[in-house]
Amino acid sequence: MSTREITVTVNGRKRTAHVEVRRTLADFLREDLGLTATHLGCEHGVCGACTVVVDGHTERSCTQLAVQADGREITTVEGLAAADGTLHPVQQALRDNHSFQCGFCTPGFVMSIYGMCEEKKAGRPVPCSREEIREELSGNICRCTGYQSIVDGAEAALAGAGTDTTGGQA
Amino acid sequence: MAGGSAISGLVGASVHRKEDRTILTGTGRYIDDVQERGMLHCHFLRSSVAHGRIVSIDASAAREVEGVVRVFTGADMSAITEDLSFAQPIPGLNSPSYPAIAHDVVRFVGEPVALVVAESRYIAEDAAGLIEIDIDPLDPVMSTTAGLAEGAPELFGEVVPGNVVHTDEQLFGDIEAAFSQADHVVEQSLDQHRWACNPMETRGGVATYETGSGQLTYEASTQTTHTLRFLLAGWIRHPIHQFRVTANNIGGGFGLKFSAYREDVAVCAAAKAIGGAVKWVEDRNEHLVAAGSAREEQLTLQAAVKADGTLLGLRVTMKLDAGAYPINPPATVYAGLVRTTLPGPYKLPAYQFRHHIVATNKASYISLRGPWAVETLVRERLMDKIAETCGISPVEVRTRNLITLDDQPTKMITNVTLEHVTAAETFQKLVEMVDLDEIRREQEAARKEGRLLGFGVGTFIEPAPGTQEFWAAVGFPFGSEPCRIRIEIDGKVTAFTPQTPHGQSHETTLSQLIADELGVGFDDIRIVYGDTDATPFSMLGTGGSRAATMASGAVVYGSRELRKRVLEIATHILEASVDDLDIADGVVSVKGAPGASVPMAQIAMGCWLAPDQMPPGTNTEMEFVANYDGEGGGFSQASHACWIEVDQDTGKIEIKRFLVVEDCGKMINPAVVEGQVIGGIAMGVGGMLLEHSAYSDDGQYLTATFMDYLMPSAPELPEIEIEHLEFESDKVVGSRGVGEGGTVLAPAALLNAIDDALAQVGRPRVTETPITPTRMLELLGVIEKE
Repeated sequence: MSTREITVTVNGRKRTAHVEVRRTLADFLREDLGLTATHLGCEHGVCGACTVVVDGHTERSCTQLAVQADGREITTVEGLAAADGTLHPVQQALRDNHSFQCGFCTPGFVMSIYGMCEEKKAGRPVPCSREEIREELSGNICRCTGYQSIVDGAEAALAGAGTDTTGGQA
Repeated sequence: MAGGSAISGLVGASVHRKEDRTILTGTGRYIDDVQERGMLHCHFLRSSVAHGRIVSIDASAAREVEGVVRVFTGADMSAITEDLSFAQPIPGLNSPSYPAIAHDVVRFVGEPVALVVAESRYIAEDAAGLIEIDIDPLDPVMSTTAGLAEGAPELFGEVVPGNVVHTDEQLFGDIEAAFSQADHVVEQSLDQHRWACNPMETRGGVATYETGSGQLTYEASTQTTHTLRFLLAGWIRHPIHQFRVTANNIGGGFGLKFSAYREDVAVCAAAKAIGGAVKWVEDRNEHLVAAGSAREEQLTLQAAVKADGTLLGLRVTMKLDAGAYPINPPATVYAGLVRTTLPGPYKLPAYQFRHHIVATNKASYISLRGPWAVETLVRERLMDKIAETCGISPVEVRTRNLITLDDQPTKMITNVTLEHVTAAETFQKLVEMVDLDEIRREQEAARKEGRLLGFGVGTFIEPAPGTQEFWAAVGFPFGSEPCRIRIEIDGKVTAFTPQTPHGQSHETTLSQLIADELGVGFDDIRIVYGDTDATPFSMLGTGGSRAATMASGAVVYGSRELRKRVLEIATHILEASVDDLDIADGVVSVKGAPGASVPMAQIAMGCWLAPDQMPPGTNTEMEFVANYDGEGGGFSQASHACWIEVDQDTGKIEIKRFLVVEDCGKMINPAVVEGQVIGGIAMGVGGMLLEHSAYSDDGQYLTATFMDYLMPSAPELPEIEIEHLEFESDKVVGSRGVGEGGTVLAPAALLNAIDDALAQVGRPRVTETPITPTRMLELLGVIEKE
């Protein structure tokens, strides 16, 4: 199986590796880099559990290849909390709102909501109403919660985005 | 409330979840996160034929692939394992045993026919594609009707004659008299489709065999470590004392992960045969095809009623499509649950229940969040039809038949005592919060604008945990619940529970209870679960919403015993009587004299290190295993109301509003309760409107991705309003389970709303689910039924 050398910056750290060209980005992150926070719920791009931020945009890591990420910058859930363990404001907002239950879909939602908050910080339009937030989150599936608590958390995170300078390195 | 619980403080507050820091930072250990030394990867080759005889299988090319370590055909696997058997001494139960990997006959699309173990999952999948298998097709049986038909192909020959896994009829009261006195006989039928648990984490496990010691460890995504251990040990011929089953983070279960599966057997046996660590995590496609689905039942009901809507008697027949292979629990348990629960919180003088459980060429019928749910669905829809027949409102028909607190204690017709059941009170509260006349006026106004609105209600009781009588009637044990609690040498607390939480927040709720009972800090408590080497035995693990009562009771009684021991020792140190002592923040002090105190840590250290120097006659054991019997158990209950709008052009159903009045007794953590209620409703709504484990007539599985099997996402679901009642009993632990209820009752309120909408345009009721847009258009008469 042919391999190729790639260099990817993951959570601020430059990583170089030889990967099989058919290896998915998700498998590269999880198995080669040991970053298992990014979960695989369907492996066909529907459930959103594998969502990561690539060059500032939320993307599925299960439906792209590791070689496609060559030279790009990736943020995963591992990259959000501060080194001292302080939760990122997005994570804190979700915690305050009891947003999740089993936690399997959680990293994908955290990254999607983080992505929205980054958009807001950059001055781009973001969902405002709960209905719009629901629409924006339609690319992430949760089987436990019925989403209401996640919308609560996302609403709080979005309200705080750009106003809070504490916590979180990313 | 009478008698009453001393629980106070953290209990009752929506405290932050202990679990959240782990899951929000992605530092959990779900099964696919496990990386063992030298770990190999599994992939199962699965049958693409629904029913057929395996003529030959040739794995030689697969074995040649670089990186493939071992390929197990059915014959290879059967040489090292016993067939799975879930047979139990239940009269008339025809429960076939079956091999971990099929070697003679395949009976559903997705049945394992070979296992490839390789250095990577990629290689294992490559190699599986090189296995040549020749299957001689047999006619598949794709419905209960087909299975019961004269001359139908028999899946298991004489082991399951006529494909009937079990059939039974039970009579309660004088059913003939009931029907002879009836003013009306109201009939109803429902054909519920097959849908699935679909936890976001699929099934999986990592088996690690240590060749030197002979120790086998299976880390699994399971709801019940102890049962998995004793079932697997027998089938893989491994001594149970050298077998440990563990579970860490579990990405949802919903009933699916209660059983042991043939893949678990194959993976453990493979690890042992190869001598190392072997991982199996099914992908979503495998999960949808092979893990099993639920809810496929056809029911017909006949109710004998008086002119005023009073129920006199009920005849019910249920056919349950069991799929091909039995799993745990036996299918008779589902039938027993439906039969026992169906009368619900209503007065019913006579009852007849018949069931036929039929084997078909599909994946197994499995538990799904309130596996008895169809009883509430058909009963609540029947109540609406009775109301229509008698010319009274859906509210009136329920009010006339509901059992109120004043009627209790009383017995259900199924011989189950009801006490402290408040379904009627939740319904009364719901009715107070809803203006039915206004709803009718709005509907009429909407119709004039060409819009179609529907409104439905429902009520029910949830056996969470149920009672001894209830489970005896069902035919399933109602076990007590243990918990081992230890005050550590530094005064902090570790509790070992046989629960296997996978989203239910037990680390949080059990810590709240211990904190209040023992007087230690919430953060100074750790809950240990998911390790058969550490936790006390329970057959049940986490399921059936037992924990709110049972696990809670075990930690409360365990904490009280340790508290008693600590206080007894403190009376000697502080020279005060027990009644004058209190424990707060881990310090025992004399009430009103804060200076006179001793840290629990000091007492604990003395007990662990120098018990002989502790006050004579005191109990210095700082560890205790409590067993809680449930104090007789009980029920939780709720009533739902659902408002919908139907788009008559597209068939889309929008839920405009959803109201819940629930009573699960004393809420330990209201945010956890609301999470369970809302999540449960989402699942019920998804099941009725979107999800379908569909098969073609020739047995192919049709909805094998999330693009075909539609899971509800955020925009499809409404904001759910919840009103809590907390009628409390005289029990020490007045908390009841609430995990199943949303999924059980929401479909009934929703379908009643759909029927209500259909009635307004003169169309007949729903008789078949799911109510997809296409089916809704058929029901509206916009398009012809296919």
